[in-house]
Amino acid sequence: MRIGSEVLDQQAVDADGRLMGKVDGVALRLDGDTAEISAVLLGGATMLWRISPRLARWAERRRWTTATTRIAWSKVRKIGVDVKVDVDAERTPAFRWERWVRDRIIGRIPGA
Amino acid sequence: MGKLLEVALGIVTGIGGFLEAGSLATAAQAGAGFGFQLVWAIVLGSICIAFLTEMAGRLAAVSHHTMPDAMRERFGLRFFLVPLITVGLVSFLVLASEIGGVSLALQFATGVPARWWALPVAVALWLLLWKGTFSVVEKGASLLGLVTLTFVVAAFRLGPEPREVLAGILPSLPSHEPAKYWFTAVSILGASVSPYLFYFYSAGAVEDGWDESYLMVNRLTAGLGMTFGGCVAVAALVCAAVVLQPRGIGVDQYDQVALLLSTPLGRAGFWLFVASLGIACAGAALQIALQIAYLTAQGFGWPWSENLYPRQAARFSLVYTLALPLAALLILAGMDVLKLTIMSMALTALSLPVTVVPLLVLMNDPLYLGDHTNGWISNAAVLVVSAIACLVALVAIPLQILGGS
Repeated sequence: MRIGSEVLDQQAVDADGRLMGKVDGVALRLDGDTAEISAVLLGGATMLWRISPRLARWAERRRWTTATTRIAWSKVRKIGVDVKVDVDAERTPAFRWERWVRDRIIGRIPGA
Repeated sequence: MGKLLEVALGIVTGIGGFLEAGSLATAAQAGAGFGFQLVWAIVLGSICIAFLTEMAGRLAAVSHHTMPDAMRERFGLRFFLVPLITVGLVSFLVLASEIGGVSLALQFATGVPARWWALPVAVALWLLLWKGTFSVVEKGASLLGLVTLTFVVAAFRLGPEPREVLAGILPSLPSHEPAKYWFTAVSILGASVSPYLFYFYSAGAVEDGWDESYLMVNRLTAGLGMTFGGCVAVAALVCAAVVLQPRGIGVDQYDQVALLLSTPLGRAGFWLFVASLGIACAGAALQIALQIAYLTAQGFGWPWSENLYPRQAARFSLVYTLALPLAALLILAGMDVLKLTIMSMALTALSLPVTVVPLLVLMNDPLYLGDHTNGWISNAAVLVVSAIACLVALVAIPLQILGGS
């Protein structure tokens, strides 16, 4: 599987078909000369590492970044244009902000 | 038969949705300053936006990706940030211009200064997005937008010499004020080729679940909708050329734009102008606010859809909930609506390569389009127009600022 074009930056969809986030990074397990993907990563910290490692380290020192969602490769399947992962988005840190915005702001406005 | 209806509705959407603060203001300035000479800029801009819209729809129908989805996937996160931020900023400025346009329409109707209308307008628009579904926002606004056809009626009433109008289709060098001429040409191009138009269209095609059977619908809708839409802008330019230019009235205030309809159509014309301005700008503002939310949500993979309840797409709803009042603040702060509009349009033209070239790369990638990749004509048309717009903007914007109009 080509990491670049088939997994990275693709839409992750959870077990219920909810849009969960983009695959912001992958974790590799090195085994001698070969490397294989052990997990896909979602979250602001991973995103920041890809934009600028310096910025990421700086944000990390200030504890600004939220937890990374790590999904084991065994739970990942490629379906159509999306990456289907066998987890419940609501229970992962990937939905932390979605929950926070829903519970604290949007959910409190009548008609939401 | 269902498809035929969709084509008809799509074309109506294109016509009713074409005119907004930017295309109206730039067409009025062009006609007032240079008669029919700048018709070519509207023609060129309309051709370019027709091609781009068709591409955005084709990408959605064949690959089932929206543009932000496909761009992030194809170019990676870092590069994707460039069009994301550029399109976001430009769209925000255009959103403020449209809110300003609605506020001015309300000022003309009530006498209460526009700036005090900005926040109420933002709240009213927000309520429509909060409660409405996608088709209400898209189709409803555009159907009401057909009131802008008044400009076409007015243009025929004014009876310009057809040969003179047609002569304007060929680009020509200005006889006076070259800096202003090129700046106006650039802002017309920016107003016609606004990225929010094709980004919104692509999100809409995915919302409506298009597949390859929609390719013909897409081609007709995009091609005819934008071409006829461009005619409304040409009509506004014709009105300005006949009404304002001979009297030596330049457009530096929106009040002067009202003359385009009140001169040929009297008191009724004035009220039709108020309605056209208000409805056209409100429709555009709704689309832009949604498009900013689509862009962000799709770029980061959040749940998005105007057809979900806001709580089902909380971050998506938060984006438009913030964008509308923030844009209104620019108007409340007392920014001149006309200047803001014209400058936003020129900046749009300047940013065209960044917003358009990534789409062109995608459209030539068989990985996304299969057998439906671009032909050379659409590639060349879009590339040439956006290159011209950007280069002329690079020269004209500094001149305009230095010239201090």
